[in-house]
Amino acid sequence: MSKDIKVSTSHKGDIAVISIQGDVTAVTGEVIGNAYGSNDILNSPKILLQFDKDCYINSGGLASLIDIASEGRKKQQKIHAYGLSDHFQKIFHMVGLTRCIPIFTSEEAAMKDF
Amino acid sequence: MEQLLELHLPNILGAEKEAIKKAVIIAEKLGFARDRIEDLKTALAEACINAIEHGNKFDQNKKVRVTLAANNKSLEVIVHDEGEGIDPKKIPTKRVRDDGFPCRRGYGVFLMSNLMNEFYFEKNPGKGNNVKMLMHLNG
Repeated sequence: MSKDIKVSTSHKGDIAVISIQGDVTAVTGEVIGNAYGSNDILNSPKILLQFDKDCYINSGGLASLIDIASEGRKKQQKIHAYGLSDHFQKIFHMVGLTRCIPIFTSEEAAMKDF
Repeated sequence: MEQLLELHLPNILGAEKEAIKKAVIIAEKLGFARDRIEDLKTALAEACINAIEHGNKFDQNKKVRVTLAANNKSLEVIVHDEGEGIDPKKIPTKRVRDDGFPCRRGYGVFLMSNLMNEFYFEKNPGKGNNVKMLMHLNG
């Protein structure tokens, strides 16, 4: 695993959770992609991306998240996100990523809206 | 403008974090609000990444130079690469696919130009390229 990112997966009921800490970049995006590509996550209809509030995301990282959103759409998965800092919530809105990965202010809100 | 910082970064992705750390310290001293400093961090990161990737084309014999200067109105950031440069007209501007989905790449310039108050390319054939950005203290 890349030293700049920590990614773990879990399940909460029928929701697959991908927890992300650290730098989301073109380099580390592969780690998130691998987590998403694991059988138990890839076949889940509901996926929650749980970002640490200190996550750093650059344009290469956005590309990796768009890849996941694109794959999720093909599989008719619903993907939600929460935990992003105010700044990266703004960036998600600016690049249009919220159209495919809606962001929520809390885990409870993100899970309730699936 | 008073020059406050000159850094020579190795041409490796991730090197931009050193520039970001130092820029944050300077921006805090100048009195920029927290949200503007976050904007600066992203814009500076994207400028460095573009210099490493598109300017210097990952050539580790080349460097990225970052300079910060300020006056009582603005912070100026210049990111210099040693590459041949790209035609600004050829930078993709399309960010939404025909089906409404966001495009995969092409957000660097979009973010820099939207997060900073002013944004310019300066292409100097044979001498590299500058991305020059200004952030105004009054917003």
